[in-house]
Amino acid sequence: MINYQKIVLQNGLVVLVHEDPSSKIAVVNLLYKVGSRNEIPGKTGLAHFFEHLMFGSSKNVPVFDAALEKVGGSCNAFTNTDITNYYITLPAVNLETAFWLESDRMFQLNLSEKTIETQRKVVIEEYKQRYLNQPYGDVFHHLRDLAFDTHPYKWPTIGKEIEDIVNYKRLDIEEFYLSHYSPDNAVLVVAGGIKAEEVKYLAEKWFADIPSSHIPKKTVPQELPQTSKKAKTVMADVPTDALYKAFHMPAKLKDGYLESDLITDIIGFGRSSLLEQRLVKNGHIFASVGAYILGTVDPGLMVFSGKMEKGQSAEKAEKVLDDLILEFLQSTIEDRMLTKVKNQAEAMKTYESVQLLNRAMSLAYYAHLGNPDLYQTEYEKKTQIPSTQIMEWANAILKEENSSVLYYKSKGE
Amino acid sequence: MTLDRSLAPPFKIPEQIDFPLPIKRTLQNGVHLYFIPTPEIDAVKLEIDTDSNKVMDIQEKKLTAYFTLHLLLEGTQAKSSSELDEFFDTYASEVDVVSNFEHNGLGLLTTKKHLSTVLPVFRELMTKAIFPEKELAKRKSQKALSISIQKEQNGSLANNLFRKYLFGGDHPFGQITEEDDVNAIQRDDLEYFYKNKLWVNPEVFLTGNLDDSELELICKTLEDLPVKFLESEHSEFKNIQNQRIEERKEKSLQSSLRIGCHLISKTHPDYFGLWVFNVILGGYFGSRLIKNIREDKGHTYGIHSSIGGLKNADYWIVMADVIKEHSDEVIAEVYHEIEKLQHEPIPEEEVETVRNYLIGNLLSNFSSSFELISRFKSIHQVGLDFEFYKNQLEYIKNFRPEEIQAIGKKYLKRENMVEIIVG
Repeated sequence: MINYQKIVLQNGLVVLVHEDPSSKIAVVNLLYKVGSRNEIPGKTGLAHFFEHLMFGSSKNVPVFDAALEKVGGSCNAFTNTDITNYYITLPAVNLETAFWLESDRMFQLNLSEKTIETQRKVVIEEYKQRYLNQPYGDVFHHLRDLAFDTHPYKWPTIGKEIEDIVNYKRLDIEEFYLSHYSPDNAVLVVAGGIKAEEVKYLAEKWFADIPSSHIPKKTVPQELPQTSKKAKTVMADVPTDALYKAFHMPAKLKDGYLESDLITDIIGFGRSSLLEQRLVKNGHIFASVGAYILGTVDPGLMVFSGKMEKGQSAEKAEKVLDDLILEFLQSTIEDRMLTKVKNQAEAMKTYESVQLLNRAMSLAYYAHLGNPDLYQTEYEKKTQIPSTQIMEWANAILKEENSSVLYYKSKGE
Repeated sequence: MTLDRSLAPPFKIPEQIDFPLPIKRTLQNGVHLYFIPTPEIDAVKLEIDTDSNKVMDIQEKKLTAYFTLHLLLEGTQAKSSSELDEFFDTYASEVDVVSNFEHNGLGLLTTKKHLSTVLPVFRELMTKAIFPEKELAKRKSQKALSISIQKEQNGSLANNLFRKYLFGGDHPFGQITEEDDVNAIQRDDLEYFYKNKLWVNPEVFLTGNLDDSELELICKTLEDLPVKFLESEHSEFKNIQNQRIEERKEKSLQSSLRIGCHLISKTHPDYFGLWVFNVILGGYFGSRLIKNIREDKGHTYGIHSSIGGLKNADYWIVMADVIKEHSDEVIAEVYHEIEKLQHEPIPEEEVETVRNYLIGNLLSNFSSSFELISRFKSIHQVGLDFEFYKNQLEYIKNFRPEEIQAIGKKYLKRENMVEIIVG
């Protein structure tokens, strides 16, 4: 449980307060409900690019970071497929500065030519550094493109290609700001050594006069059910083959989502997992292996991935992975397995909540899904799911016709 | 009344920061344990750090400590590899390996709820490991693969070359591991190291919501660990003549740059001045390197300078991945910024920002009780205590800009710099 109080301003801004009297700092986390899922082909990567622009200047603040550093604060942000999340850490006594800064850039961001052009270069370098100039760096470009036909999850958050980043027009950028950066599309969480009353007062003072957006949100094109297996081979300058096999799975909060989470916990989490024990420790084809879900607000992917030992092929690796999945589908989940997974879920909550910032982010994330209480209720639901129900979903999801396979192969010497 | 947004809200700079002292215990075997209680957090972190890196002297066996530590979870006299995995996962506890320039060791992350169950098995890893051949073979092939993947990464290649030229290729800090080093490791090496060389000068760092009986249990568990106390040998390093090492790669889209030199120890009177100099130059987001190379020119996604901590003398490093065609220009700009900071008066506004930022940062670093123990550890391992941070806070509040500049001039000299370009 994370304690919180909630108010909603007239303009739609949701404000949550988490008091932690043991702390002398405050965390201000502002989540905008926009990510790469709100982009269109040809303009991919725009949500992430826009995140960079938010650190330029706004009407009353010449340089965002400098104004914050001057009061002892620091900040950062991230963008993913579903959200863009900004966070500030500062001495609790200077809380109001964070309100001033965040409200000014929500209200009246300066989109100067200099900022746009410099950040265009910076983001292109980020693209190269993280995705092109790294072995296996573009795996998710290929895998997403293969697994999705119509949904914007088809491209990664950085963007489909550098060309798209080069081509954003000023109009695209302005329209993006007006459509998504409004109080009714945001969740503000303030946490730490602060008082709820003070936060409510400051929220009214700095955010109440920012108008809500009247631009209706575009609908996000949804994916049709996949009916046959998809596969792609990529040859690359890497030392060894890698295999990625992805299955479509339900969206967050939908039936089957928590079961999917449990399936990958059981098969793929930790050193004692089925995958690690059978394919790595007692097999000679995989050097490493893992299973995880991309938990997203629209239906996402359950991914199995691994790197092969030198000289072993990705195709061969798929066969042994398939055999293991089949064996799992025909088995029953033992009680000790469930106990283990539930212990892990419980401990994970303890570990996660150590950091004030993590608590603030969790509240913001679940508030954006509809209700901060989901943080607790989803956890409780997850720990009560019977094993038969997990197996039903496993059988529904882990089907060959629902899979997309990427063979990422070493060109060799 | 409409709000005047042009007025920045008033702010205060915190005057004081609490630096709570850890509780110290001496175990029967002479090992010191340092504990910081965190009454509101049910996670427990236990770490035992040793000086055993210092006894590593055989070049071709440089991976002995690495494999010894990573094999501890691969089987003990009482439990097989898979039983150990099942055990720690069931109790949601993580065992991790500590391995850095000066220390080797083992860490445990668990919860108050599972502590007493997990502790005896964690203890078994320290003296009852059996190093099975099969698991060693798998670990070796995994390590060989990760070495070959790292060779494809400009960043890690650049880090390796930087270490090699800064510390010397023969010194453990500067050695580069190759696939051959993996092949050189035999099971006997691990067993010998484990029995004779691992538990040298150990110290225990502990944090969590623990009562007296739990603390007692931990002390009891560790008090019979056979340990050795040896006089620590410390390496002295000298700066070399300015040297540029280039490893150009046609297919690379970017170049990884590393520039740096040896500095002074944290106990030196000039240390805080040098530390502030580094912050202004490249140590925070508002730094001059970020402003120039990223926010003005857009040549990189990130450029930072930092001070690496070692017992005898720290070292300095600038790191960036930049547009290939601009790599020479960026290096020239780095020197240009160093010289500017050394010679041109620092604007008052910038001095105020840096002071306030650093105080806020220190406050924030000491705000999470769970992390206090690692702040303590890093300073304790170089022979200091929390007085260091008190002095640091005083220094931040009172330093004179001219003094920072003079100190910067003294220690950051181009003729001492190692420069690496990969890609």
